[in-house]
Amino acid sequence: MRPRKLLRIARWEVTKNAGGVDRQTVVIALVALALFTLVVPFVMSGETGLDEGLYRVSVDEDSQFSAVVESESAFAVRDGDVKAVESGDVELYIEPGLITFANTTKGVAAYEQLQSSVDRYNNRELRQEVNQTAAFPVSVVLDYREQGGLGESLRIADSEDEESESSAETGDDSDGGETERSGESGATDGTDGDSSGESDGSPTLDSDGSGSNGGGIGGFGASFNEESVSGSPSDIDPPFPFQSLVLAFLVVIPLNFLIQAYGSTILSERTNRRGELLLVSPVSRFDIIGGKTLPYFLGGMVLESVIVAGLFLAIHGRPGGFISILAVTPLVLLFLSATFLGAMFARSFKELTFVTVTITVTLTSYAFVPAIFTDVGAVALISPLTLLVRELQTETIAISEFVFSTTPPLLCSGVFFGLGAGLYREEDMFDQRSLRGRVLDALVGPIPATGGTGWITGRLDSILPVNITPLRRYIAVGGLTVGLIPFVFVVQLLAIALLFALGEISIILILIVVAVVEELAKSLHIYAGYTHGLFASGRRTALFLGVASGVGFFIAEKVALLAQLVGLPELAVADAGLQGGIIPGPAGLTALLFLFAPLLLHVVTAAISAVGARRGKREYTLAVGLAMLVHLGYNLTVVSTLV
Amino acid sequence: MLAICIQLFIAGFSSFLVVGLTSLYDPQSVDGSNIEVAVSGDVEQELLEASTEVQGVSVQRIATRDDALELFDNGDVDAVISTSSIPAGGASKVQVEAAVPAEDLRTTLIVVTIRELLTELERLERVDRVDYLEQAPVEVPQDVGSSSYFGFTYTILLPLLLFLPAFISGSIVVDSLTEEIEQGTLELLRVSPVSLVDIVDGKAVGMIAIAPIQAGVWMLLLRFNGTSIQNMWLILLFVTAITTLTVVVGTTLGVVTGQRRQAQLLYSLLAVLLFGSTLVLPEHPASTVALLAVDSATIVTLGHVVAFTALAIGLYLLVRQYVSHLDAESL
Repeated sequence: MRPRKLLRIARWEVTKNAGGVDRQTVVIALVALALFTLVVPFVMSGETGLDEGLYRVSVDEDSQFSAVVESESAFAVRDGDVKAVESGDVELYIEPGLITFANTTKGVAAYEQLQSSVDRYNNRELRQEVNQTAAFPVSVVLDYREQGGLGESLRIADSEDEESESSAETGDDSDGGETERSGESGATDGTDGDSSGESDGSPTLDSDGSGSNGGGIGGFGASFNEESVSGSPSDIDPPFPFQSLVLAFLVVIPLNFLIQAYGSTILSERTNRRGELLLVSPVSRFDIIGGKTLPYFLGGMVLESVIVAGLFLAIHGRPGGFISILAVTPLVLLFLSATFLGAMFARSFKELTFVTVTITVTLTSYAFVPAIFTDVGAVALISPLTLLVRELQTETIAISEFVFSTTPPLLCSGVFFGLGAGLYREEDMFDQRSLRGRVLDALVGPIPATGGTGWITGRLDSILPVNITPLRRYIAVGGLTVGLIPFVFVVQLLAIALLFALGEISIILILIVVAVVEELAKSLHIYAGYTHGLFASGRRTALFLGVASGVGFFIAEKVALLAQLVGLPELAVADAGLQGGIIPGPAGLTALLFLFAPLLLHVVTAAISAVGARRGKREYTLAVGLAMLVHLGYNLTVVSTLV
Repeated sequence: MLAICIQLFIAGFSSFLVVGLTSLYDPQSVDGSNIEVAVSGDVEQELLEASTEVQGVSVQRIATRDDALELFDNGDVDAVISTSSIPAGGASKVQVEAAVPAEDLRTTLIVVTIRELLTELERLERVDRVDYLEQAPVEVPQDVGSSSYFGFTYTILLPLLLFLPAFISGSIVVDSLTEEIEQGTLELLRVSPVSLVDIVDGKAVGMIAIAPIQAGVWMLLLRFNGTSIQNMWLILLFVTAITTLTVVVGTTLGVVTGQRRQAQLLYSLLAVLLFGSTLVLPEHPASTVALLAVDSATIVTLGHVVAFTALAIGLYLLVRQYVSHLDAESL
């Protein structure tokens, strides 16, 4: 890879870009964006009034509720009496001392709306009172404490960390003791005990903290600024993740525009054999890919930096967010790499749209679903967005948390780029194979054909005493399994994030996902190799391939135990998902179980699939199914003895 | 076919997301269990009174806060509330310290319940002090039942489900037009005895037709699920009109730019922008759908439907006109 050539291709991509975005388009796009920014404040302020006039109410002038009804936009005032309620012309009829509501869900909903609007109305009116003590006689400090004695046995590695990190926050935790928050606990809201009586208006949007309507972005700024929840009871905001939601959309949505453009540019290289010109020029494909990606990556980063900096400026009134920008980087890379691979798979723009939508949906949920639980638990750290949310809440972020959160997507994007690059060859780029065929092609890319010395093995040969060239293919197979690990991890993490809320059954569901994903990761490339006739068809070869793949997987998995050491030990489900079962027991036994049993498992299951892959598609499917069952059985046994 | 696939995929995902959102939106609907609260301090009598008014909470009196916290640590109670009366400006004020679990899935539920409990306490306290207030607070009506999804279902879920297909239809039109142009397959179509207008018509009508079908299926599913939806035909007409508008935008961009990337980029921007700018209207299209569905439609609502339909037809004819004047060679 030569930087100069890479940069030149990047420059072309920006300026010429094979039918790039012309000036006119840029102008229109900019105008549209500018108008868009004008609209955003409206939407953010939650005053869209989507429920305007939803309920029809007839109210008597003398009733104490008439002012309430008039102040609430969801009510449309109509004329009518009890008969109108019966005939369904209005939902509520309010007369002094009596409220009649239609006996339908809508009637009940209207009645509930009335209740909540009375609350809001009262709070609004009471704020005008001179005697604020009488108006707001109760002041609350809400304290998020860690509850001891829960799942003690499942915590493995965090006891030391807890002591060292818990002093990060100030405040008058008068009775801290063992329940003090630890840095990694996800207890986001501080506990500073200064009660400010009532919420002093936050500088940004909407400070009345009610936010109970459908749009409900209310209290967005407030929940960042006031660390502890204090004030009148109605000011308490349950740790509901609207802010994460808004953030996720702010950060992730621009990426979707980005990948559309990026996917187009990659695919347009492939349609009409346009990319052939670059391919035959004296640059490596990595230069081409790097050059084509660089502008989008930089553009994306600039965009994200602006958004993050803007957020910090808007919420804290000062620039910041360095860690957040770092945390968003893997996300940008992940979006780009997935789109790259998708564009290498797709045959037409329509397929590309399908692929892009899939990517958008999957990755958005990856970034977004765990971030929903920012206030809940360690699960949140699966998504790098959580780091952003936490930095916005001016919390400390441990290095280990950062690593845990950003490494999987980073490695995963590496895998995607690698696999895509494997396809960036003349014979694959312009060929109209189906998606399935292309996936197999991509997997076969790194496996060398028989004979010859490769780049890595060539070097290794000169260092090692033994000649390992004959083993190249096995090494490649094992290495490819290792390379697929980040992907396996991301899928498993996503599965944990999605399923952990389901309770008991989630462990089993996650184990199923684990078995399926891991077995596929261990065997799919072996199958691909067989379909391409790369391996001799003997059973011995198949067994060796299986062993290679299993060993590779085992090694990578143990290296990847960092996941367990950092974030998730508090979650039983995560244990089940990531460790393949490790029992804290007597040292010898632990070592045995830690090392030997999983190794055996991976080797055996990979060998089963490999033997099946040798024969053909149907046999492969059966064999993988069998391997998954074995894997699932093993995991279930381990987990049931553990828990 | 692929179009339908995409739409189904998105639909599936969005419904999944919606279920997730609703359960977060109203955590109490998920978990109906009882919240155990330990109470200590000098205002406990009032708190106990308040707790009788709130459902799903049971209150234990504990002598001191430390004892209560011990119970909390053992997991015997879900939350601890300690109260004290403090003097403030000549009168007394109730200072409440509430402890809730930091990381627990039930936290949201617990906090919501605590809020309800404390709001009730606040109400009782206010009643005691009503003499000091210039204006007595309006009484909150009694509870009658719960249907908290109602507003959400109609103002957010339903419009989301109905407008997404419309948005995607336009996007697919962009794709299929620009693809024909870029790959040169338009040539092939042109040698057959169809005009450019026919081609555009064919693509547009197909995409316009598919969105109301999906919308209809969604509404039937919602109905099946017990959510009554009124004025289905009017809503379908409205969705068709919106889809026509997005398709018109898509077609125009596709034909004018002739390049997928630009057209798609502009399309997504314009679509978002147009949807945002509908805020200027007296009634947002989402509210139009909501009002129609719950049968609260006014003359304004009907006016919107008519106006959108007229606009859609007018613009579509305009685009047709434009395309028929285009020289197909120039594409």
